[in-house]
Amino acid sequence: MTEVSYGAWDGVVFDYRDDTSRSAHNAFPVLKNFDEFDDGNRIRAFFGDRGFFIFDPTVSLIDALWRQMVEAADQSCGKCTPCRMGTVLVRDALDALRRGETPPLGLDGIETIADQMTATSMCGLGQTCAKSLLTALRDFRDVIEAEIERGPQPEQHGLAYMTAPCIEACPSRINVPRYIDYIRDGKPEHSLGVILQKYPMAATCGRVCVRFCEMACRRKMVDEAVGIKTLKRYVAEQQTGDNALRFGRELIAQPLGADMRVAVVGAGPAGISCAYHLLLHGYHVDILEAMQEPGGMAAMGIPSYRLPKKVLHAETDIITELGGRFVFNKALGRDYGIDDLFSRGYRAVFLAIGCQQGTRLGVEGEDPLTAGYKSGIAFLLDVHDHVAGTRKVTLYGDVVVVGGGNVAMDCARSALRMGAAKVHLVYRRTREDMPADREEVEAAEKEGVIFHFLTNPVKIVTDDDRITGVAIGAMRQTIADGRGRRGVEPVPDTERVLACTTLIAAIGQQVRAETLRADDRVALDQWNCVKVDPTDLATSRPGVFAGGDCASGPSTLIHAMANGLKAARSIDDWIRKGHVCFQPRSRMRDLLNDNQMLADDAVEVPVKPQYRVHHPELDPEVRKLMFEEVEQTITPEQAYREAKRCMRCYRTYSVITENPIANGA
Amino acid sequence: MTSSDVSAAPAGATATDTTARELSATINGQPVTGRAGESILECARRHGVYIPTLCELADIDHTPGTCRVCLVEIRTKGSSKTHLVTSCTTPMEDGIEIRTRTAALRAMQRLQVELLLADHDQDCATCIRHGKCDLQDVAQFVGLTQNRFFDPARVAARPVDDSSPALIRNMQRCIRCQRCIAICRDGQGVDALIQTGSGLETAVGLRYGLTQKNSACVTCGQCVLVCPTGALGERDETDRALEMMYDPELITVVQFAPAVRVGFGEEFGLPPGTNVEGQIITALRMLGADIVLDTNWGADLVIMEEGTELLHRLKKKQRPTFSSCCPAWINFVERHYPDIIPMLSSTKSPQQCVGTLAKTYLPEKMGIDPKKIRVISVMPCIAKKDEIARRQLSHDGVPEVDVVLSTREFARLLQREHIDLKSLEPSGFDNPYMSEYSGAGAIFGTTGGVMEAAIRTMYFVVNGKELEHVEIEELRGFEGVRTATVALGGEIGDVKIAMCHGLKPTRQIVELVRSGKSDLDFIEIMACPGGCVDGGGTLRSKKAYLPHALKRRETLFGIDRKKAVRQSHRNEQVQALYRDYLGEPDSEKAHHLLHTWYTDRKIEMTQTVREVWADIKMGGKVY
Repeated sequence: MTEVSYGAWDGVVFDYRDDTSRSAHNAFPVLKNFDEFDDGNRIRAFFGDRGFFIFDPTVSLIDALWRQMVEAADQSCGKCTPCRMGTVLVRDALDALRRGETPPLGLDGIETIADQMTATSMCGLGQTCAKSLLTALRDFRDVIEAEIERGPQPEQHGLAYMTAPCIEACPSRINVPRYIDYIRDGKPEHSLGVILQKYPMAATCGRVCVRFCEMACRRKMVDEAVGIKTLKRYVAEQQTGDNALRFGRELIAQPLGADMRVAVVGAGPAGISCAYHLLLHGYHVDILEAMQEPGGMAAMGIPSYRLPKKVLHAETDIITELGGRFVFNKALGRDYGIDDLFSRGYRAVFLAIGCQQGTRLGVEGEDPLTAGYKSGIAFLLDVHDHVAGTRKVTLYGDVVVVGGGNVAMDCARSALRMGAAKVHLVYRRTREDMPADREEVEAAEKEGVIFHFLTNPVKIVTDDDRITGVAIGAMRQTIADGRGRRGVEPVPDTERVLACTTLIAAIGQQVRAETLRADDRVALDQWNCVKVDPTDLATSRPGVFAGGDCASGPSTLIHAMANGLKAARSIDDWIRKGHVCFQPRSRMRDLLNDNQMLADDAVEVPVKPQYRVHHPELDPEVRKLMFEEVEQTITPEQAYREAKRCMRCYRTYSVITENPIANGA
Repeated sequence: MTSSDVSAAPAGATATDTTARELSATINGQPVTGRAGESILECARRHGVYIPTLCELADIDHTPGTCRVCLVEIRTKGSSKTHLVTSCTTPMEDGIEIRTRTAALRAMQRLQVELLLADHDQDCATCIRHGKCDLQDVAQFVGLTQNRFFDPARVAARPVDDSSPALIRNMQRCIRCQRCIAICRDGQGVDALIQTGSGLETAVGLRYGLTQKNSACVTCGQCVLVCPTGALGERDETDRALEMMYDPELITVVQFAPAVRVGFGEEFGLPPGTNVEGQIITALRMLGADIVLDTNWGADLVIMEEGTELLHRLKKKQRPTFSSCCPAWINFVERHYPDIIPMLSSTKSPQQCVGTLAKTYLPEKMGIDPKKIRVISVMPCIAKKDEIARRQLSHDGVPEVDVVLSTREFARLLQREHIDLKSLEPSGFDNPYMSEYSGAGAIFGTTGGVMEAAIRTMYFVVNGKELEHVEIEELRGFEGVRTATVALGGEIGDVKIAMCHGLKPTRQIVELVRSGKSDLDFIEIMACPGGCVDGGGTLRSKKAYLPHALKRRETLFGIDRKKAVRQSHRNEQVQALYRDYLGEPDSEKAHHLLHTWYTDRKIEMTQTVREVWADIKMGGKVY
C-alpha cells in the first residue's frame, strides 16, 4: 500500500513526517491503486474537497494548491461573488508565491478569502475548492512557510479534474451541471452543445435514458432529484424549429485522407455514437446495418410511445450530415465477415451488433417454436413492424410477460396497446429489486399491467402446440448473505396456472449465434458476448473493437453511447499510433471511484423545497391504446425553474505526479 | 409549445397544508414568528430587522442568491453547529436561531462587498446612478473602509455596449444580480437577455451575441428600473438638450408626455402621484425652452386619426387593429411578430405628431423659420429614443423630434441647473396652437387610457352625440389583459376590444390573434406594466418595482375628471388644426404628416454546432 507522509482527510490530520515507525494514532484510510498514475509515474500527492494526502514529503504544497485553484478559477461560473473573485485572488496569490514573489495577499489574507469562499459560496464549486487549501494553511502552515523561505517552487507535474456526482454517475460523463447552467443562463443551444460533445442522440437520451445522474443527484437530499432527463429533452428541442442548431461538415476540424476508413457494424446507439466521433475526428465512416433503418435497439426495441421514430431518425441523420454513410440490409455473418471488411480497406472495425437473441427461461415445456411463445426482443420487433405498418400483429386474450427490466416493461405496455385483454408481469424478485426504471414500472401499473412479484414460471402449458398458460410458483427471499444481499428460493407447493395466449420471455439477451464465426477470430466470453478489454474496448483481434450490448450484455442506451465514444478514441489512437493511448481523465475517474472519493455527504442547512417539474403526460386511459408519444416537452418557463434547482455539486481533485502524465493533462 | 398546468408540483397540496403553520424562532435572541415557506430574509423584514441585500428584489420574487451579502448565521433546532447561509434563499424552520450582526458575519459581509468592488468601476462621480445606488448604500452599511482588491485592468476588461440610441449596458458597473434577466424573461417575456461568459467574464449579454441595437431587445427599459446600480441606463442626452436650449439662434420646442407630470414630483420630495404639470412648465421656461407644448394635445390628435382609421377598418371588416402609440410595442412587433404589421394602426405616436407639426404647422402659424426649430420631448420612456431615430420619422435628414429626455434625465437636468421643482410657482401653457388638451388626452399615460379616449370619440362619430358616461369603468381594471365589448351603435354596432399592458400578456394576445381564434376589433398595447406611468424612462426606485403605479394612475383619472372638455374631438386647438391646416382626419395631408409605416426586423439566427462549441468551455475536452 502507498504510504502517506502527511495529510488530512475528513477533518482528521495525519503527520508521519517525523514518525517513520508509523505508530501514530490516526490510522490512514486505505488507498487503492494509488501507486502510479500512469505507467511508471508515481503519484506524489492527491488533493480533493475532503482533504489531501502527501506521499512524497518533497512535494511543493504551494504549487499543488495553486494547480487546484487554477482549475477552480477556470471553471467558476462567475455568478456568486466569493467564488468569482476569490478563486482568482487566491490563484494569483499562490502563483506569486510559487514563483518566489511576494503577493499582495499574505497567508492570512489567503486564508480569509479561502474561508469566505468555503463558507459563503453559492454552489459546490466555491464551497469545496479551497477546502484542502484551508486545511494546509491551518494544519501545515510550517510546510508552506518553509517553502516560501526556499524561494521559487520546483516544477511539478499533475492533473486537476473537476467533476460532480452526476457526472461521475453518467457512463458518458456528460457535464450535467454545466448544461443545466446554460439553461439557466438562457442558452439552451449551449446546453445541447455540451451534450453533443459526448453523443449525437440528445433527444433520444432525453426520452429514454435510465438516468444514473438523477440517482446520484444530491438535490434529492433536499426534495427530489433535478429533472435532468426532462431538461435534456427540452434542450434537444433546439435541434428543431426555426432557429435549429445546425450540423455540418465544417464541424470536422481536420478531414483525413480517403484511405482513413472505418467500418462500424451496427447502427444502434453504440455504432451511431462511435461513427459520430470518428467522423468528427476526420475519418470516413461506413455503418453497416442488418436492418433497413438506423437506430438498432433504439428503433426496434423502444416502442414509439416512448421514442417516436422521427425523433430518433432526426438524430441518426446527423451521421449523414457529417458525411457518414449507412449501408442497410447488410448483416455480419450472413453477408460478410470481418476479413472481408479489412480486405475492403477499412483500417479498423467497430462491432456494435447488439444482443439480439432472447435468453430462454429454461423451464419445462419451453420451445421457441410453440405458437404464442416470444422472446422479449422478438416481440418488440413485432411491435416495431406493426407500428411501422409493415406487418400487422395483433394480440388477443391474456399475455404473460416474464422479467423485471425495462425490456419487460416495454413488452408489457406494448402488449396492452396491441390488444391484449390482460397483461400479467411475472418477476421472481421483489418490486424494489426490479432493474426497470421506477417511472416505467409506475406507468405500466397505471396503464393496467398486473404485477406478480416473487413469482417464477415453472412450466409452460401447451395444447396442440399452442401456449394456453404458464404454471407459476411463489418465491421467497432468503436471509441476507455476508454482503447483505438476499437471494430468492421457490416456495414448495405453490404452483398455479396463469392462463394466457402469449408468453413473452424478457429475462435477457445474447449475441445472435450466427453473427460471429470462428474465422472472424473475435473471441466471445462465457455469456456469449464479445470479449473486450474494458479500458479500450479492444477485442481479441487487433483493429477490431466492440461496444454496446454485444460487449457488455443487454445494457442501457447511455452505456452504449459511452462505449461508442470510448471506441472512437481507441480506434483513432490505434490507427494513428498503432496502440491505444492512456486516458488521463479516465484514470482520474477510476482513482476517484476505486477510493470512493465523492463523499455521500448530507445537505446540512435548510433549502427551500422546490419540487421538480414533470413531463406533461396524457391520460393513462387514452394513452394505453396508442403508440404516439405519451410524454410532452416542458415549456421554457418550466425549464428555467427546473434548472434553478441544480445545486452544482462540483468538486475539484488533483494529483501531483513524478513525471509528466502521458497523453496530455 | 403550449403551456400546461401539469407543472403544478405534486407537493402543491402539502405546501398549502403547511402555510397555515406558524414557526417560532429567534432573530438575534428575540422571539419571532415565522411562516412556513417564507425565507429568513422575509421573516426578518416583517420583524423590522435589516439585513443588507443587493441581488434580491422582493417585488419581482427574485432571489438568485448571487451577491452573497445577505448572510446570516443560523443554528437549526437540535443542532450544535452554526452555519452561514444567505437569508434570501434559506427557508424559515421551526426552532431556528438566527443571528444577523455577529462580528464574524459583519466581517464577511464587508469582505463580500469588497470582493464585489474588485472589478467594479469605482468612478462613482461619473455614474448616472451616483447617490441613488444600492451598492453605495450597502458599502456604507457594511462599513467598507478599504478597497484592497480593486484592479482597473479588470474593470477595463468588462464590456460596455453603447450601440443603442436608447439603452447603455455598462458591465463595468454590473454586480451580476440578474434582475435584468429576470424581468426581461419572466416579467416581460421578451427573453432577450442571457448570461454570457464565466468566471470574471460573467456578464449580461444579448442572445446570439448580438449588440443592443441589433438584438431582440425592444428597449422597454424595465430592466433599467430594476438595476440596482448604474450598469443599465438610458443614453444621457441632457447635454444635447442644454446646448439647444442655450443656443440663442435656435428655437427650442419642448413637449412632455401625459405620464411625466404625475411621476416626477417625488424626486423633489413631493408625494408620489402629485400632478406637477405647472411646475414643469415653469422649470422648462427657466431652462430656456422657447415654446412649451403638451404631448397631451398630440394624444387628442392621435385619437382623431386613429379613431377614424379604426372606423374605416371596422367598416371594411379588417380586424383586429392594434394601437401604435408605444414605441417598445412597435419594436416588439417588428422584431418578434412582423407578420402582424398589417394589423398595426398607421397613426404616429403623440410624440411624433407633436414633433412633426412643431416643424410644419407651428412655424407657419407663428411665422418662424422651421429650420431653427429643435424639438425636445420629455418622456417616461427610453424606447422613445429609438423611435426618433427611425428613418421613417426623419425627413431630408431632419428628425421630427431632435432629443428625447427620459423623466430621469429631466430630473438630472433640473438638478444640474439647480432648479428645485418643489419651490417653483406653477404656470400654465400659453401656446395657442398645440398645448390645450382634453381629459381623454390626459389618460393616455395609463393602461386602458388610449382605448377609453378612442371610445369617447368614436361613439360621437358614429352616433353624433356624446357618450352619456365618459368614464368607462369596465375598461379601468389593472389585469394584464382585459377584454370588453362596447356598443358603439350605428352601423358599427358592438366592438370587441382588449387592453394589454406588459409584454408577457401582450405576447399571449398576439399569439391568440395569430392563431386566428380571436374575434377582437381593437387592441390597445402598452409595453410597460401599468402603461407609461411606469415606463422604462420613469424615476427609479430602490429595492422596489413599480411602487407608485396606482397613485400615478389615479392622478391621471383625476386630471380627466376636472377637465371641462373630456373628449379629444372637442379639443378646440385640435379642431383649429383640422380647420386651418389638415382638413379632415385621415385627409391626404393628415395622412402624409401623421401616419407612418413599419418594417420587418425579425431576428433570424441559426447557429451552428461549431459556433456553439467555440463558445463552450470544453471541460473534458473531446475536440
